[in-house]
Amino acid sequence: MSSKFVYVTYIRTTPAKLWDALLKPEFTHRYFFGVTMQSDWKVGAPWKMIHPDGSITDTGEVLEIDPPKRLVLKWKNELPSMKHEGYTLCTFEISAYGGQTKLQVVHEAEMDNSKTIAAVSGGWPQILSSLKTLLETGEILDLDISQDRAGRRSA
Amino acid sequence: MTKTSLVYVNTIAAPPEKVWQGLTDPAFTERYWYGTRVESDWKVGSPITFVKGPGMGAPDTGTVLVADRPRTLSFSWHIAWGEMAKEKDSRVTFTIEPDGTGSKLTLVHDEFEDGSTAAEALKNGWPGILIGLKKTLES
Repeated sequence: MSSKFVYVTYIRTTPAKLWDALLKPEFTHRYFFGVTMQSDWKVGAPWKMIHPDGSITDTGEVLEIDPPKRLVLKWKNELPSMKHEGYTLCTFEISAYGGQTKLQVVHEAEMDNSKTIAAVSGGWPQILSSLKTLLETGEILDLDISQDRAGRRSA
Repeated sequence: MTKTSLVYVNTIAAPPEKVWQGLTDPAFTERYWYGTRVESDWKVGSPITFVKGPGMGAPDTGTVLVADRPRTLSFSWHIAWGEMAKEKDSRVTFTIEPDGTGSKLTLVHDEFEDGSTAAEALKNGWPGILIGLKKTLES
């Protein structure tokens, strides 16, 4: 693997609540740019990322799922600027850590200088920071997401 | 370069007036359009605001082009996030025809820029919205 993004965070919650927050629309709507992650969440099932306007930017397949500990997704960005890069791999690992919960997200691609990995490297810290804030306080981070995303993508 | 047109045809077990309401009433749209409230007075030339939930980013915008209730609804659409925000407006046209006791709904989404990201992102996105509309109206 030649392009890799790694993020580790510790969250004041339980593994079960964190698992729900990663997969269920009522949570993802709030911290993940309004996104719905749609899937049957079984090994081999397709998944897709749907934005509030209905656009679908990312798709893939569930490779491993072991609630509430481990989720591995085959992941492809479907937009013209990145589609040709094909599949990346995104692994979520959740573990109890003291009374808290550790979340590790690894998003990687075989190719060097993957644009997909560069893009998610900008997105994941915002998403996961807002997720942590939501689980700990019930509020989300007030990030001007659309402005930042537009700026980052044009950079 | 070939111009992209996305075309979808659905039958819905609801009369045209109900389908029109499903497309233009924000209380309906938020139930199937991933929480988006599509708000406008639906007069030709009036603005449309696609209001998303808290934290979901800036609203998409548009302008009503044709409002022939309950037959034809056409509007321009500007998507506000990501690389799509830099594209010019595309055009969405819904045509509603009576079909027995229900309706035939035809959606044409066109006037995209060449190489449009919005066209690519919505190509797979519209079927989910239309299935949601159908389920909402038939339930």
